[in-house]
Amino acid sequence: GFDNWNVLIIVFTEMRDKLRKWREDNHRNSEQIVDVGEELINEHASKLGDDIWIIYEQVMIAALDCSRDDLAWTCLQELKRQFPGSQRVKRLAGMRLEALEKYEDASKQYDSILQDDPTNTAARKRKISILKAQGKSAEAIRELNEYLEQFVGDQEAWHELSELYINEHDYGKAAFCLEELMMTNPHNHLYCEQYAEVKYTQGGLENLELSRKYFAQALKLNNRNMRALFGLYMSASHIAACPKVNATVKKANVRYAAWATNQINRAYQVSHAMCCVLLKQ
Amino acid sequence: MSIKLTTQAYCKMLLHAAKYPHCAVNGLLVAEKQKEKKKDSHSTPILCVDCIPLFHGTLALAPMLEVALTLIDTWCKENKYVIAGYYQANERTKDFRPNQFAEKVGARIAENFSEAAMIMVDSTRFTMGCYEPILAIYDHHENKWKCRDCNADCFEDWCEAQKITSALLEGRSYESLIDFDNHLDDLRNDWTNPEINKSVLHLC
Repeated sequence: GFDNWNVLIIVFTEMRDKLRKWREDNHRNSEQIVDVGEELINEHASKLGDDIWIIYEQVMIAALDCSRDDLAWTCLQELKRQFPGSQRVKRLAGMRLEALEKYEDASKQYDSILQDDPTNTAARKRKISILKAQGKSAEAIRELNEYLEQFVGDQEAWHELSELYINEHDYGKAAFCLEELMMTNPHNHLYCEQYAEVKYTQGGLENLELSRKYFAQALKLNNRNMRALFGLYMSASHIAACPKVNATVKKANVRYAAWATNQINRAYQVSHAMCCVLLKQ
Repeated sequence: MSIKLTTQAYCKMLLHAAKYPHCAVNGLLVAEKQKEKKKDSHSTPILCVDCIPLFHGTLALAPMLEVALTLIDTWCKENKYVIAGYYQANERTKDFRPNQFAEKVGARIAENFSEAAMIMVDSTRFTMGCYEPILAIYDHHENKWKCRDCNADCFEDWCEAQKITSALLEGRSYESLIDFDNHLDDLRNDWTNPEINKSVLHLC
């Protein structure tokens, strides 16, 4: 009786909190979202209060990822009923059309949003996603650049553009995008580290030295960033091995590489020790 | 001059692709090191016994790939393996042709292992039932990659591979598959995937 009721409340709260965490972290673990979200919607809708609408949205998008058009459709109908004429819901309808590969219809949907609201960034980004899905990378890049001229502070867009450039092996332009991100987010170790990776990939002594500096900067911002640590080792080693460098530079980089090796070994020791502790338990 | 795949190698490739359906994924294939080069070594196929999933998402950056190749090379030497192939599944389902990056990595591997293969995963034919092999295998000939027909002959035991891969997909084993990216996020994550190897053995 009472115990069962408590368990149910705990289970329900856990599920709702999980969904919230995944929303906040922007996790694309769609199968899990569908599992948890579908049960929450079917069994506990009344307890969710106003949370239910954002959950419908989250579950709908995850359902599209899992080819669960039945579930996506249900969520969409609930949202249409509650928010008639909403641009946000219109965009979700567009995403469903994208998932069904009805790109022209999806595009028309987004165009109709933009007619009513030309500053609707979500609709513009969906149109660019369609170009990406169709493999039209050059056009996607062009549109995204145009978008960023207007919405220069959109970090998600700068990051997306850097990825598009990397996929096209246009590392110089990718670096530019990451420079924008580092400027507006000087404490973000991930941007530093990604910038360092791009510079390293570009190659050449100057870029290697830059990459080493930015791997080091990323480590300063987060001393547990293993990519930055490995990157520091790799870049310093390559610089030290380069015939063009003078003895002083070579000596310094040999030292950096040695320090990095030491840190890497320590990191592995700590992680293995933790594994052993876990096993013993 | 051709490679064959064990169930474990095929399985882990597909689990990797299944774990990240919205991303490009790539990885390496390893074979047991041959003791001596026999005269008729051209006719004996090379058996890829295992697969090391590498990255998901943005593939075309050099530093972490170099780190992975270095660490895995060391591991190979300890286990008398050799890196024998490279696989990639592109981000877009319909895009299953090798791109410049795949060819570059493939060529790099071929420098150390002349019979190296490049494998592209064809996601359009990816089903839970795994009724047909969904790979395109490319061999390196005179600086060009030539596509070879992939059928049951490319597997040590296709029936076993089909059954076990399908079972693991149904059981969502891909949720616990570890790639090198996961390892870099947390060093405790083991890219040799011992638990999945056990599951494969268990189902054999």
